[in-house]
Amino acid sequence: MIRLVTLDAYDPKVIDRLCKVLYTAFGVGCEHAGDMPLPAGQSEPFDAQALLEALPSPRAYADDKILYLTSRKLKPRSLLSGDVPSAGFANQNGPRALVSSAAVKDPEAGLKQIARHAMHQLGHTWELHHCLDPRCAMYPPWTLNYDAGDTFFDTFCRDKSEQKIRLAKS
Amino acid sequence: MAETALPPLLTLVVGDRVVYPNQGVCRVTSVESKEVAGQTLTFVTMKREEDGAVVMVPEAKVRSIGLRKVAVRADVDRVFSFLRSDSDKANLDWKQRARTNVERMSQGGLMGLAEVVKGLQVLSELRPLPTKERELYDNARHLLVAELSASLNIAEVDAEDSVDVVLFPPGRERPKRTAEEFRSGTGDEDGMELGEDLLDMGGEMELGGESEAEAEPAEAEAEEAAEPAPKAKAGGKSKAAPEKKPAAAKKAPEKKAAAKKAPAKPEKKAAPKKPAAKAAGKKSAAKPAKKK
Repeated sequence: MIRLVTLDAYDPKVIDRLCKVLYTAFGVGCEHAGDMPLPAGQSEPFDAQALLEALPSPRAYADDKILYLTSRKLKPRSLLSGDVPSAGFANQNGPRALVSSAAVKDPEAGLKQIARHAMHQLGHTWELHHCLDPRCAMYPPWTLNYDAGDTFFDTFCRDKSEQKIRLAKS
Repeated sequence: MAETALPPLLTLVVGDRVVYPNQGVCRVTSVESKEVAGQTLTFVTMKREEDGAVVMVPEAKVRSIGLRKVAVRADVDRVFSFLRSDSDKANLDWKQRARTNVERMSQGGLMGLAEVVKGLQVLSELRPLPTKERELYDNARHLLVAELSASLNIAEVDAEDSVDVVLFPPGRERPKRTAEEFRSGTGDEDGMELGEDLLDMGGEMELGGESEAEAEPAEAEAEEAAEPAPKAKAGGKSKAAPEKKPAAAKKAPEKKAAAKKAPAKPEKKAAPKKPAAKAAGKKSAAKPAKKK
């Protein structure tokens, strides 16, 4: 089950549509688990990793994945080989993911872009690595034309995510 | 190919982090002597960090299985400079490539893993990888990321992104490669028979690597058609997949188009149907006769 937690105000229609996209992509239920305030002591642009660690968890089962959605900006991530712009964060095989919709002015119009990033981060929580197919949501998100892509997993990533979800359920 | 030589004597103590080829990063949990079939052997027991799987290896076999210590910072730097380098020539002969990649995975160390990842990533810019190589790519990437993460003591997600920032630089478009580009580099003549070779290997070759956007519906259909084999292995399930709907939706217009083209056909079809109907009639007439 994917539990979507909003950190800012969103139109319920947008949340509903996002849940539907995620349900279609992963084949597991997705529901809005409510709103939560941003943790104190951090300011915009947020460090995605620090923010994710500071956020409280809603009630969830062990197999559930929690997706936090915010409209605030995230800091570019400093990596060993350079900086990359960040639209979200999730640890490999972790239970939680964070996605920012700051790059989208109108969340209703740009839902596809938000959903693609959400799929990407949730994919990491199910141990998916980055993909070679530019059409796939698991393609590195900082690349050119990523945001213009569709909410799509290639065959390999879809099969792998289904397998991981099935194993988690068992 | 990376150096394959192991240190002559790999002395392991409890707590050491080692890399078991093709398995990942393990931690040595005990080194103890056991009597097996009248012989006293020293066993090294390791626990895989990823999932806690336990493996016992006789100390005498440690070297031959390719067990090695986790890479040090100098190795990591060499890997990143290799990934940054322009040595992007993939071997077009799938047999040679498969053999080399298996060798790199088992004996190539961290650099071997990086070579597999980079080689297949470059090849994917020429055309989509067949299933087996896609799996190999994912395994190699997983092992590389796990070892980098262990070596640098950073999170796996950071290790993976560090590798990918080099392989997929931000703001740069994905290069499109041609077979000639590879052939001129390697001088490989066998690369001419790519299509057949790859069909033999994976059985799920997707066509049209250079014009992906145009070939998308065809690819999706080809993927769906080729899917039952791996799915059967995985357990024979079939969930509602997101791209199946678009694919089905794309099929519908095709059928409509076919129906539009069809008007000339009914006459042709009707013509052979008559004799068939007659024949059926004859048969049906003949049957009662036989029964009688």
